[in-house]
Amino acid sequence: METMWLVTILGAPLLAALLLPLLRGRGTRVAGWIAGLAAALSLLGTFALLPALQRGEMPMLDFRWIPAARIRLALHADWLTFPFLITEAAVTLLAVVYTWGYHHVDERTPFFYALLLLFAVGMSGTTLADDMFLFYIFWELMLVASCALIAVWGEGERRGAVALKYFIFTHLGSLMVLVGLLILYNSTGSGSFSALRAGVTLAPGLVTTVTTLFVIGFCIKMAIFPLHLWLPDAHAVAPMPVTIMLAAAMLSMGTYGILRFPLSIFSPAQMTPFAVPMMVAGIISEIYGALMSLAERDIKRIIAYSSVSQMGYILFGLGTLTYDGVAGATLHVIYHAIVKALLFMCVGLVVRATGRRRLAELGGLGSAMPLTAFCTGVGALAIAGMPPFCIFVSEWMIFAGGFRTAHIGLSILTLFGSLLTVAYALWFVGRIFFGPRPQGLRIDRLPWAMVVPTVLLTALALLEGLFPAPVFDWVAHELTLILGGVW
Amino acid sequence: MTGDVRVILPLACLGGGAFAVYLVARLLTNRNDLLALLTALIFGMALVALVTLQASTGEEHLPAWGHLGPGGAFLRAAPGGLVMGSVAVGLGLLVALYSGCYLSLDQRYETYYPLLLLLATGLVGMVMAGDLFNLYMFCELMSAAAYVLVAFRRHTDTAIEAGFKYLVMGSLGTVIVLMGISFVYRETGTLALPPLSASAREGMGTPGPWTRVGIACFLVGLGVKSAIVPLHTWLPDAHGRAPSSISAMLSGIVIQSAFYALLKVCLGLGLPGRDLGTWLIVLAPFNMTLGNALALVQTHTKRLLAYSSIAQMGYIMLSVGVGLRYDMPAAFQAGFFLVLAHAVMKGLAFLSKGVCHFYCDATTINELRGIAARMPLVAVVFTIALAGLSGVPPLAGFAAKWFILLATLRSADVLGYVGLTALLLNTLLALGYFLPLIGTLFTSPSSSPPAEGNGGGRIRISPWMAVPLVTLGTLVLAIGLYPAPWLSWAARAGLYFGLGR
Repeated sequence: METMWLVTILGAPLLAALLLPLLRGRGTRVAGWIAGLAAALSLLGTFALLPALQRGEMPMLDFRWIPAARIRLALHADWLTFPFLITEAAVTLLAVVYTWGYHHVDERTPFFYALLLLFAVGMSGTTLADDMFLFYIFWELMLVASCALIAVWGEGERRGAVALKYFIFTHLGSLMVLVGLLILYNSTGSGSFSALRAGVTLAPGLVTTVTTLFVIGFCIKMAIFPLHLWLPDAHAVAPMPVTIMLAAAMLSMGTYGILRFPLSIFSPAQMTPFAVPMMVAGIISEIYGALMSLAERDIKRIIAYSSVSQMGYILFGLGTLTYDGVAGATLHVIYHAIVKALLFMCVGLVVRATGRRRLAELGGLGSAMPLTAFCTGVGALAIAGMPPFCIFVSEWMIFAGGFRTAHIGLSILTLFGSLLTVAYALWFVGRIFFGPRPQGLRIDRLPWAMVVPTVLLTALALLEGLFPAPVFDWVAHELTLILGGVW
Repeated sequence: MTGDVRVILPLACLGGGAFAVYLVARLLTNRNDLLALLTALIFGMALVALVTLQASTGEEHLPAWGHLGPGGAFLRAAPGGLVMGSVAVGLGLLVALYSGCYLSLDQRYETYYPLLLLLATGLVGMVMAGDLFNLYMFCELMSAAAYVLVAFRRHTDTAIEAGFKYLVMGSLGTVIVLMGISFVYRETGTLALPPLSASAREGMGTPGPWTRVGIACFLVGLGVKSAIVPLHTWLPDAHGRAPSSISAMLSGIVIQSAFYALLKVCLGLGLPGRDLGTWLIVLAPFNMTLGNALALVQTHTKRLLAYSSIAQMGYIMLSVGVGLRYDMPAAFQAGFFLVLAHAVMKGLAFLSKGVCHFYCDATTINELRGIAARMPLVAVVFTIALAGLSGVPPLAGFAAKWFILLATLRSADVLGYVGLTALLLNTLLALGYFLPLIGTLFTSPSSSPPAEGNGGGRIRISPWMAVPLVTLGTLVLAIGLYPAPWLSWAARAGLYFGLGR
């Protein structure tokens, strides 16, 4: 039964993605509904795995694929995959619903939905894969699909160049990950993650090499300074639903990678040399991203840079190598997804209503768009780490993790870095929704398909802040899986 | 002349077919589609003959034909040669079908189809030849056919120029090969190439001084044919100017089979695999980097693809080199797997490009704009080919890259790692031209003037072209998604070379 759901998670979007192009120009409206149905099925499948996981089972699917090279077509779900899987599936569904209102329908629309779903398949597949070959295929599918979306549907003349930059930059990271995977494959003689979790014995030098490759490779995906250069352009140019999926779901794949590979495989002692570099990189990224957000004048780029900053928190949390820090980082992935999707949706609403993206041309929208203003306000407060919104909980955990390490100075620095987050978040809201309204600013009506997901996320941001216990429960399971009670 | 008749059967099909097609074209009909169909039939028969031959070829049991002396034979069916020959004949089959429409605006079908068949005859003969003399003869046959086919569209200066350049460089190569043969003959008194299988190679002494000079000559002469940098200069012109159908053959399999001949001769004459492997690993980064760097600046699609072939040759050399140097069959078979994958992908890329040229008169990259809107099928298969060449999963190129990287990493040696780094960096470099090319296909042609003639509407492409394109496109996906059977096929070649003992 669980195997069936496991197949559904990937199969429903994949099938829809393959069928949608057949629609051509005939059913551009239907395309959105089909895509929504597929994404909903995927989310349903993810939730359906929960009982099995809670019973302590691990839903598996395993076929021999290339026997000569011991490559298998294997999927599995465990507690480490679950938080990520649920994030991806939920973000995909919301992004698809948002697309109903956002996307200008033309004969290419079915292809847009198809690629959006392929992007989702890439992410879920990466999380579910239990074999390195398969992992890498999905990992690249994620990149190819999102790059195609940017190249074809991007906003602005530079979309081709931006897509190329995005592809080559992140592909560099992929190649590092690939080499890391192949080294592990060579030393274990199998591509199975289950075998990896049982433990790998590598020469100490090789451990350092592999960990470095993985950490740098995955940090490119996470857009950690100075490897973030692809992110602002890609996020600013991509159509809004794609930006939402990029920022809320795809960035977290880097976190998944770090959790899945170096942290799960190597012992804490082997990881210790990487703790401080990861924490420092995290802090630099956090502060840099926040400063750039303050300096930006384009509302979409402000939120894009905010991702660089938030990923910094996550890397810091992972770098603490403590229970609290890693738990906080994983929680932060989920909560950041909620809040970042919310903020991008709000930006999308503002852009849709006014047709403007530059801060200087906006202002005083609060009275005309009260609901959007409220949602943005919640999003901004949440990202600034205000209680009682969700990110407060995860940041608390990350900081707590930081103070459990010997590097109190670094932890204090993170704490102060978060002040900058407050600054740009409030400034962002203030400039858009308060103050005088510029001349000739027309405000269009917003489609319900864009408003509903936004409101839903706003509610979720508050709800998760008040009742973090269930989600925290999933993450706690994950930690026992990774850390094995060592920390 | 004795021996297993099945060995000569593919060659008889192809060679006899060439004459038959010529006679049919002169005496009966000069209709392009009929001749294309006939040629395709002949290729099909040859393919069946090769496949049945392959079934009866074991690791140690190598059917041979025409015993000329101890250890020597006129033709010998070795697994590696059969792999190369089958790829060539299979590609030839699709190219012949494709020409059924592609060539309809040209004349002189009575030269084109026989020459195509002779090209394949020379190629199959070269990879199956059991002694140096036959190898040389078949190599010349293949080259002569290739020179003429490159200059087939003789009304354009560029084609003549490219053909002539190819002729000069290629002849220089073969003259050096001939010289090498004479050196070898002077010392050993025989032209036989012993089979390479493990048992045959035991007890083989080190080659004498003249043989070594001969081997050096082979390296240079066949290096020209297989476009090893710095002997590659003819390739971009020849492959860029030939009709697309011919470029597909030349880039897809001809240079690789010359490389196979190089391996066969050098190892057969007693050059230690370790030395040859070292040379190949050292030269491979030059091939990759030069090919990719020059492809980046090309404005003509076919020249771009041609330079990419030089780069891909580098990947093949690296992989085979690692296999030979470290005695790792896995690396060797990964190299052959790439030969197969590359033949399919590059063939597909050239053929798709040819369709664009045929219908939209597009030669430069900029003229490819809007292909997606006008010929969606072509745009899709072209994209599959290009993405495959740049190693994007789950296509054939990625599977090849995975196996090559895996094997190279296992070498655990500095030289192997240098090659590995070069390969990885070049993968990135290759994206720099493949991705914009893919992007161009899907850009709307608003900024360029509409192509004259049939305007900007949807074009129905002829089934003669669609069938080969779809077949190759499916193959690229199939090889990438399910590489197991293809891999085991390529593995036979490694066993034959006596690796991993």
